[in-house]
Amino acid sequence: MSQFTFKMPDLGEGTVDAEIVAWHTKPGDMVSEDQLIVEVMTDKAAVEVPAPVSGRVVSVSGSPGDKIAVGSPLIVFELTEASKPAAPPAPTAAPRTAAPAPAAAPAPAAAPAPAAAAAPASAAAPAAAPAAVQQAVAARPGRVMTSPANRRRASEAGIDLTTVTGSGPGGRILTADLGSAAPHRAAAATAAAADTTEIKVIGLRRLIAERMSEAKRNIPHFAYVEEVDVTELESLRMHLNHSRPPEAGSLSYLPLVVMALTRVLEAFPQCNVLYDAARGVLVRHRAVHVGIATQTPDGLKVPVVRNAQSLGLWEVAAEIRRLGERARTNKATREELAGSTITVTSLGKLGGIASTPIINAPEVAIIGLNKAVERPVVYQGAVAVRRIMNLSSSFDHRFVDGYDAAAMIQALKERLEHPATIFIPTVKSP
Amino acid sequence: MEMIKKSRLHLPRVPARPGETPDFSYVQLSPAGAVPRPEVNSRARDMASLSVDLVRVLDDQGDAVGPWHPHLEAGELQVGLRHMLLTRMYDDRMQRMQRAGKISFYIRSLGEEAIGVAQGMALRPSDMLFPAYRQQGLQIVRGISLVDLMCQLLSNTKDMCKGRQLPVMYHSRANNIFSISGNLATQFPQAVGWAMAAAIKGEDDLAATWIGEGSSAEADFHHALLFAAVYQAPVILNVVNNQWAISTFQGYAGGEQRSFAARGPGYGMAGIRVDGNDFLAVYAVTQWAAERARTGGGPTLVELVTYRGAAHSTSDDPARYRAKDDAEHWPLGDPIQRLKQHLIKIGEWSDAQHQAMSAELEALVASSWKEAITFGTMTEGPRLNAALMFEDVFKTMPENLKRQQALSAAEQA
Amino acid sequence: MANMNMIQALNSAMDIMLGRDPAVVLMGEDIGYFGGVFRATEGLQRKYGEHRVIDSPIAEGGIIATALGMSVNGLRPVAEIQFADYIYPGFDQVVSELARIRYRSAGDFFAPVTIRTPCGGGIRGGQTHSQSPEAIFTHVSGIKVVMPSNPYDAKGLLITSIEDDDPVVFFEPKRLYNGPFDGDPNKPAVPWSTHPKGQVDEGYYNVPLGKADIVRPGADLTIIAYGTMVHVALAAAAALNMDAEIIDLRSLVPLDVDTICTSVKKTGRCVVAHEATRFSGFGAEVSSIIQEECFWSLEAPIQRVAGWDTPYPHAFEWEYFPGQARVTAALKAVMEPA
Repeated sequence: MSQFTFKMPDLGEGTVDAEIVAWHTKPGDMVSEDQLIVEVMTDKAAVEVPAPVSGRVVSVSGSPGDKIAVGSPLIVFELTEASKPAAPPAPTAAPRTAAPAPAAAPAPAAAPAPAAAAAPASAAAPAAAPAAVQQAVAARPGRVMTSPANRRRASEAGIDLTTVTGSGPGGRILTADLGSAAPHRAAAATAAAADTTEIKVIGLRRLIAERMSEAKRNIPHFAYVEEVDVTELESLRMHLNHSRPPEAGSLSYLPLVVMALTRVLEAFPQCNVLYDAARGVLVRHRAVHVGIATQTPDGLKVPVVRNAQSLGLWEVAAEIRRLGERARTNKATREELAGSTITVTSLGKLGGIASTPIINAPEVAIIGLNKAVERPVVYQGAVAVRRIMNLSSSFDHRFVDGYDAAAMIQALKERLEHPATIFIPTVKSP
Repeated sequence: MEMIKKSRLHLPRVPARPGETPDFSYVQLSPAGAVPRPEVNSRARDMASLSVDLVRVLDDQGDAVGPWHPHLEAGELQVGLRHMLLTRMYDDRMQRMQRAGKISFYIRSLGEEAIGVAQGMALRPSDMLFPAYRQQGLQIVRGISLVDLMCQLLSNTKDMCKGRQLPVMYHSRANNIFSISGNLATQFPQAVGWAMAAAIKGEDDLAATWIGEGSSAEADFHHALLFAAVYQAPVILNVVNNQWAISTFQGYAGGEQRSFAARGPGYGMAGIRVDGNDFLAVYAVTQWAAERARTGGGPTLVELVTYRGAAHSTSDDPARYRAKDDAEHWPLGDPIQRLKQHLIKIGEWSDAQHQAMSAELEALVASSWKEAITFGTMTEGPRLNAALMFEDVFKTMPENLKRQQALSAAEQA
Repeated sequence: MANMNMIQALNSAMDIMLGRDPAVVLMGEDIGYFGGVFRATEGLQRKYGEHRVIDSPIAEGGIIATALGMSVNGLRPVAEIQFADYIYPGFDQVVSELARIRYRSAGDFFAPVTIRTPCGGGIRGGQTHSQSPEAIFTHVSGIKVVMPSNPYDAKGLLITSIEDDDPVVFFEPKRLYNGPFDGDPNKPAVPWSTHPKGQVDEGYYNVPLGKADIVRPGADLTIIAYGTMVHVALAAAAALNMDAEIIDLRSLVPLDVDTICTSVKKTGRCVVAHEATRFSGFGAEVSSIIQEECFWSLEAPIQRVAGWDTPYPHAFEWEYFPGQARVTAALKAVMEPA
C-alpha cells in the first residue's frame, strides 16, 4: 500500500492560499476518484475540490476557517486494492475491521474514525463509505454530538437535535446544520429566540469584509456623479426587447452600459488598469474584462465578462445572465470570478439617486448605475419628461486624475445619450 | 571487652516498656545547688557545662540552695503554687469532660505545671509567648479566664478561635500569647523571627517559645537555633524534655547521645539543663535567660527535664507503651508537692491552707464550667453560625468564598 | 516614566516601599551586600542598612518562619527565595502557618509576608532552577499567588503585595527579567526598552491583585495565560493571524473570574496556557471554572497548553517548554468548526 499526498492546488492565477469551507470527508473514510472531498474558498470563489485518487483518507489538514497555503498538504490518501467496493478486504487490513460489518453493506478496509468511535451509538458500526456514515449518523438513536453552544442555540430555537443531521467530523452537528433545521421550527423559534444572534464573520463574508476595508483604507476614492438622459437608450432597449432573438432573455441597461464602456475605455486606457502594488506598476490592459458586481445569497460576488470589447450586445447580455446565475448558485469557477479590469455595479430597482461604490482593487475604477426614472427636465428649451439615470463612479485618485475621470464619465454619458454611438468604435487620433 | 568490628544499626534503649521495671538511671542528675550560675553576659563557649549539668534549687528536704536560688517573696511563691494547682485541677476536670463526651479532645500537663507557671511568671507581660500545646500554665499566669479557655475547648459561641481549632490551641493577642498551631515545632523559628523584629525595632521585649523534645527532631527546631544564633536574637528557646513523645522515647529524638540543651553550644548559644519540676530552678533559669536576652546576650536554649505524668492526650493509653508505675519512680518528684513542701518548710504555707485553696479552686473550676456551657457545647445550647467558617481566610473575603458561603447557607437551610 | 527591565522595576518597588514604610524589611539569601543573584535588591542594603535588608542563612524554612514571626511583631517582611525550586523546605511554614494564622486565630493575628521567588525555565537552569510551582500554592486556602508578565505590572503588583495584609507568594518569571520572550530561543533577545510595558513610572503606584489584564482584545477565541506564556500566546496568535483575546491573569489567587468568563462567553473558544506541568496545573482549575460558568457558550473543547508532565530537563529545555508549536496546535484545535 502506498500513500498519496494531495497538496492544495493553485485554484486560480497566482492563488497563494485557500480557506477551508467544509470538509466532506474525514480520516478513515473511503473515497473514490472525483468524489467531492472538500470545499475551499479562494479570494474569489468557492471551489469544490474532488478527490484526485481513490483510497482511504489518512489525514486531512485544516478546519473550516483555516487558510491552507497552495502547495502544502491538504489530504493524505492510502491507496489500496480494497478501495474498490467489489474487492474483498485485503487480509492485512482485516484485523482492523474485525468488528461486525453492517448487514446492508460490505465493510471496506476502513478503521473507525476516532470521533465516531467515541460515540457509543456508532461504536459498533465501523465507519465505512461516506454514504454509510451519513446513514449511521442520521439513524443514531438518542446520543447527539455537538458543542454546548449549539445545544443552547437548539434549545433556544426549539430544535430537537436528534432530528438534525450533523455534517461535522464523526457526524457532529455544526452550527450551520442548525441553520437549515431552524426554519422548520420557525413557530417555536420565534417564541424562544434570544434578543441577539451572533454570526461569525467567516468564509465569503470575511473575505468581503477584508477586501472592502483594504480597498477603502488604501485607495483614495474620487467619487463622481453625473446625470444621463437615457430616454433614447430606453427606446432602443424597448425596441430590442421586442425583437430579441428567441433564446435571449430580456435586456437590461447593464449590457448597454458595458458595451458603451468598452468603447469609451479605448480613449481612456488609464481607467482600464490593474495596480500591482508589490512591483509599483500600473498594468494597462488592452482587453476589457468587465466585472459585474452581483448580489448572491452568500454576499457580493463579481463574475467577469471577459473580452467584453470583442463581444456583441446579445453576447454580453447572455454572458452577464449566465455568470450571474452561476454566482448566485455557487457554481461559478475560479476563472469566472477573477481577472476583471474594471467593474460595473448596479442595484437595479434599488439603485437610488447616487452611491459611492468601493473600487474592486487592484482595479482603479468602478462605474455605478443608479435607478432610471422619468423626471421633468429642461429639454431643448422646454420642460419635458425625460428618463434620467445617474452614474455614480469612483476612481483611484492616485492614478486617475479628477479631470480624466470626469472626462471619461462625460464620454460615457455622450455614448449613452446617443445610443447609436455605442456600436461605433472610437475614432483614434492619428 | 570485645572491640566492635563493624557497623550495626543502633536502636536507642527504652528503659521500661510495660511489664518491665522502671529505670531512670539514664537521667544525669546534679545535686541541688551544685551548678554554678555564670554572669548573664558570659560567652556561650565559657559555660558549655551548663548544658550537661542539671540546675536545681530545691533539695529533697524542701530547702532552696545554691547560686540559682531566686529569692522570691513568699507571696510570689504562693501565687505560683496557686497557678500550678489551678492548672492541674483545670486539667483534671477537662479530662473528665472529654470522657463525658462534652469536648472532643484534651491534653493535660500533669507533672509539668512548674514549666508554664514559673516561666510565665519570670517573664514580662509584654514578652511574646509562642507555646506548644502543653503549657496551659502560661495561659493561667497571663490571666486568661478559665471560662475563655473552656469556651475554646467547647468550640462554642464564645470560642476565641470561632470554632476553627482543635481544643487546647489557644491564643490571646491581648495577652501576647501566640496561636498554638497543632503542627509541631513550627512556632519555634517564628518566635525567633518575632525576636529579630524586636531587635530590629530596638525594643527590649523578648520572645519565648516551647517545644517538646520529640518535636525538636523537626527541621524547624534547627532553623530556630541557627537563626537565633546567627542574629543573636532575644529569644528563649525551651525544650520540654518530658521523656515521651506519645509512645516514642526521647532517645529517638537524639537525647541518648547528648542532652537537648547541648544543641545550644553546638550553635554557639547558651544551653542550660534545668530541673523542670523545680519551680525555683525553672524561675531562676528563665529569669537569667531573659536578662541575658534583654541585655544583648542573645538566645538561650533551655532544656527542662521533666516527666509527662499523664497520657500524651485523651487519645492514647500510656500503659500500652511504658511501665505502668513509671511515673512513681521519676527521680525529680512532683512540682506542686515540691513547692508546697518548700513553702511549709519556710513557714509560709500549711496543709490546712492548701486544702482550703484546693477547695476554692475546685469550686472556681466547677463554676467556670457551668458558665462556659451556657455559651454552648458540641451537642447542646447555642452554636456558632457556620457562615463564620468563611471569614478570616483572607482579610477581605474573595468572591469564591462569598459564593461558597451562600451555597453553604442554602445547604443548611 | 523610565525604561526599566523587570529586575529594575522590582528593585524600584522595594526601594519605594523601604522608603515609605519603616516596617518593610527584606530578607533572603545573597540579597544584601551582593544585591541578589538576579540583582533584584541591588543597592538597597547600602541605602537602607543591614537591619532593613538582611542576608540570611541558606534555610528557606527558616527564612519563611522568621518572616512570619517578624510580621506578627509589626514588620512587613519581603522574603526572597532564590529560586522557586528551593521553596519546598519552607512549604510547611507557608501552608500550615502563613496561610492559616489569620484563620486559626479568628483574625487576631495575621501575617503580611511577601515571598518573592523567581520561577520558570528558559535560562538553562535544569530541573532544579526552572520550575513553576504556582499551582501548588493556589491549592492552599489563605495564600495569594501573583505572577507578573512585564516590568510595569511587576512593580505595581509587588507594591500591592507588600501592602497587603495577607501573605502573598510572588512568582517572577525569570526568563522575562530582561525582556519579553515569545518562546523562540533562536531569535535575538528583545529588551524591555522596546516594549510599552517596559515604560515604568518611577514613583509609587499600585496594580491591584485579582484583576486580570486584557492584553489584546479579540473576537475569535480567548487565550488565558500568565507570566512568560502571555508573550508566547501573543506571538502564536499573531503568526496565525487569529483575532484572539489574550488575558494575562496577573494574580491566580484571587482570580478574576469575571474577566475570564466574560471573554469566553463572547468568543466561545478558549485556550489556557502555562509553563508549569499540565497535570493538576492551574489550567485545570481555570478550565473547570470555564466549564462550570460558560458551558453553554462553548463552541469547542477548552485546550490546555503546558509543560510536559516531567521534571524540567536540562538538555531538552526547548522541547519541554510550551513554545510556539504547542500553542499553535492548541489554537488550531480550538478553532475547529462547531
